[in-house]
Amino acid sequence: MRKIPVLVAGGLVAAIALTGCSSATPASSGPVKLSMWTGFTGGDRPAYEALISDFNASHKNIQVTMDVQPWDTIAQKLPAAWATGQGPDLATPNFDPNVISKYLETNSLLPLEATGNGATDINVDKLAPSAIKAFTAKGKLYAVPANIATLQLYYSKKAFAAAGIADAPKTVTEFQDDAKKLTAGGNYGLALADHETIQMWPVLQWLDGADIVDTKGCAVIDSAKSVSSLTTWANLVTKDKVAPVGKTGAEADSLFSAGKAAMEINGPWAAAGFKSAGVDFGVAAIPAGVNGTVTLASTVPLAIGKSTKHPKEAQEFLAWYTGKSAQTKFALASGFPPVRTDLGADAQLSGNAIVSSFAAALPTARLYLPGVTGATQVDSEIYVPFIGQITRGEDVAKAAAEAAKKIDAITGCRS
Amino acid sequence: MTSTEVTPAARASRSRGRGDGFRLLGIRLQPAWFFIAPSVLIILVFIVYPITQSLWYSLFNWQIGATNQEWVGVGNYVKLFHDELFWNALRVTATFAVVSVASQLVVGYLLATALAKDTWINRVTRSIFFFPTIVALTTIGLVWRFLLDPDIGLVGGILHTIGAEPIDFLQNTSLALPSVIFVSVWKNLGFTMVLLLAGLKAVPAYLYEAARIDGANARQLTWHVTIPTIRPTILFTTLILTINSLQVFDLVYVMTGGGPLFSTDTLVTQLFREGFQNFHIGYASAIAWVLFALIMIIAAFQLRLFRYNDVD
Amino acid sequence: MSTDLRAIGRVRSPRGGSIRRRLGKTTVWMIISIGIVIALVPFVWMVSGSFRSEADLFGNPASLFPTSWTLHGYTAIWQQLPFLRLLLNTLIFAGGTTVLLLLFDSMCAYALARLKFRGSKLLFWLVIATLMVPIQVTLIPVFIELFHFGWLDTYQGLIIPRATSAFGIFLLRQSFISIPRELDEAARIDGAGHLRIYARIILPLSKPALATLAVLHFMTLWNDLLWPLIVTSSPDMRTLPAGLTLFGGQHVTDHAVLLAGATISLLPLALAFFLAQRFFVQGVATTGLK
Repeated sequence: MRKIPVLVAGGLVAAIALTGCSSATPASSGPVKLSMWTGFTGGDRPAYEALISDFNASHKNIQVTMDVQPWDTIAQKLPAAWATGQGPDLATPNFDPNVISKYLETNSLLPLEATGNGATDINVDKLAPSAIKAFTAKGKLYAVPANIATLQLYYSKKAFAAAGIADAPKTVTEFQDDAKKLTAGGNYGLALADHETIQMWPVLQWLDGADIVDTKGCAVIDSAKSVSSLTTWANLVTKDKVAPVGKTGAEADSLFSAGKAAMEINGPWAAAGFKSAGVDFGVAAIPAGVNGTVTLASTVPLAIGKSTKHPKEAQEFLAWYTGKSAQTKFALASGFPPVRTDLGADAQLSGNAIVSSFAAALPTARLYLPGVTGATQVDSEIYVPFIGQITRGEDVAKAAAEAAKKIDAITGCRS
Repeated sequence: MTSTEVTPAARASRSRGRGDGFRLLGIRLQPAWFFIAPSVLIILVFIVYPITQSLWYSLFNWQIGATNQEWVGVGNYVKLFHDELFWNALRVTATFAVVSVASQLVVGYLLATALAKDTWINRVTRSIFFFPTIVALTTIGLVWRFLLDPDIGLVGGILHTIGAEPIDFLQNTSLALPSVIFVSVWKNLGFTMVLLLAGLKAVPAYLYEAARIDGANARQLTWHVTIPTIRPTILFTTLILTINSLQVFDLVYVMTGGGPLFSTDTLVTQLFREGFQNFHIGYASAIAWVLFALIMIIAAFQLRLFRYNDVD
Repeated sequence: MSTDLRAIGRVRSPRGGSIRRRLGKTTVWMIISIGIVIALVPFVWMVSGSFRSEADLFGNPASLFPTSWTLHGYTAIWQQLPFLRLLLNTLIFAGGTTVLLLLFDSMCAYALARLKFRGSKLLFWLVIATLMVPIQVTLIPVFIELFHFGWLDTYQGLIIPRATSAFGIFLLRQSFISIPRELDEAARIDGAGHLRIYARIILPLSKPALATLAVLHFMTLWNDLLWPLIVTSSPDMRTLPAGLTLFGGQHVTDHAVLLAGATISLLPLALAFFLAQRFFVQGVATTGLK
């Protein structure tokens, strides 16, 4: 009778042990199977899935399976997965391009060598230069852009007509004045988001020739130009109430969708949603700043894990992904500009209003905190709270000075 | 509560030696060990080992997959005690725990007593209050976030229609934490109520009879009969609620992400940010161990406070 | 048998007692009604929101019910997700883990409640300690462990690490302790060993506590998002909550779909809840949390 617990326990242990043992499957001579983790949840997903199925249909010897997970989950699993030599062949580690440096530190990325001008090579020269620069380290390329987006000014034609404004603003002064005029009847002139978003505030700073850090990674957020620019905008928020405080990107989008904000600085992903919400909107270039037109570019890196068993096929996939036909199709489907710079002559693309206006901004678009050490920390722990403080009425100069000190501590700047 | 008298059968079995087991490889195996084996095995492999690994990580500037890890010893812990974000997170977590546990105990108790009789309407009301417990945290966090939005949420809309100023609950640095606490209490109140109700129902009637014969009024009955009798229930409930609220993450993360301006940044939210966004695994592990130690101290204190002597 | 709980929390004054009592009772019920509204409104909003178009949702925030109806939320889920597969995976995960959990926890609780053995105090503290570890901490080590076992992306990887719970062990221990030892003795005199006492006497008498635990854990596991996302990497091993995250993007969120997904995910739980809740409140009551 008492022997039964022994048998039960023993059987359990044996079962556990046996399930752990998996005999190595012999290499099958079928198509090469590549796994890819991406974070493209939400409305963009169908466009990416269409790309993948196109690739699988046209390449019988390579089959790619894309697994879409929330960005947070990838952030939790991918480092450990790649570091232990397993994990997907391809992945977009984060929507933030600065994350590439972290994965380089753990030596998890495969350097891309299959570059060149051929049809099955990654045509590096023809890809968006800002993205390529962000993904190159020590002379080697480690990722291609899975997408690249710029921010433009969405404006509600209805709100503009109601306020008697003929066109979208072309200069910063017009921009600020229009925002004030459009703030009426419980609606905001401009939907600004300060966290969980592709950042909008840096654009406002750049318009006035100011910045957050300089090329050496030292903080310039407390420079006189920066403080005066930020003070103007902060006052517009706190005193003239042209924009809401503390919104996420999704919330700012909802405001514009609901007709409760007249303008929003947003990317191409929002166009489809606004259209189905019935907003009569136009897309204009961001008003010109003191140094001409400038806007923010955001790109998602697509990299190959170092431990992949099929480096050649994985790079072939990347080459196809960034190739002309794939990018044309993707741009038309998603509204994102293509990551290639040599598709300007394509009639379909230039005929598509959304794609062409966002693509036109690419040459003058800048990345947010490019190549800055500890960029994610600077963003989440310093910049976002800083904007939160100044939009809640705190003194800009003081807050900027504190922020600059903290930034220098993280980036390791010795000024 | 526990019968500690030794029955004849147990005495007999114990006289055969320590426990009634049998020998295997010279070690006397006790039958109890087979009963506890599966649970203990799982706990050791999937909880104890990982948490000790986490302690190991905290002694380094741990990088996943690196071949050589940089030893810092107690460096992470020292850095932690100088980190103002850590102390902020500690304050937020403590406030959250104290306020949410206290509110749930008080309101849960009142609800349990009000709905104690097994009438049809009481049973339905109890079920309604318990219902929020079954929905997923992340879902309900999103729903409440939407509801509390001043521009497009229900609460904001109602305030607007009655002509009041819309209040931005989740973006106001002083209102964000209370709002999150409110949602947490909303979700767990039914659960607390049910636990307390169970204890209440087990109080024998004769205790009340005896006290009322002595002329006790309602308040005295509550303080001198009910509460002392259900002390173990209150302890159990408080312990579970405290341990859970010190570890709160999902609700806060979904509703505010730790903002605005870190006013709802709890220890686990900070841990998550340091570990998975800033890639400071060692530092995050140090936070985890401080939290773990904190919970152990508080739990031990609570057990002592309620004089829980139910351990063999 | 049931306690005279009217005594608690009620004003029992000898003068004008019944009027004061009725007034007190009305206030109490008014407060409770407000509580009921607060408890239910989010659910009503969630379900009604799953039928509303985006324009309606943003344009009429003060209205609880849809002014323009759409089935887009539900059709999108059906079309874009391998819904039945997700449902099956969630059932296997939640159901399988619950069954194993009941078995392992009750065995452990039996030992703690009935047997004196070396290490019982250590075990008690070990079990309490497991409650105090936030899952985010053990995530990476467990992930690496599962990789070494070859259990990533498998059912056993999903189920076995979760197949025991401290809460369950304590709840059942309390319940077992309240079962009179005389029954054990009687069985022992008839020659029953521990296993038989456990299986034939203790378990059947603890049905309410076991049911309580089963329902509570099933619900928690059904709703668990993080764990299945960590363990599984392939779309056909995903559970329902994980599948629903596909609709929440960083910028673009289709609210009708999200809310429809939440509603669908809630339905089986609501059903189980309404079926089991009578048993359930009774069950917690007789766990003997004395």
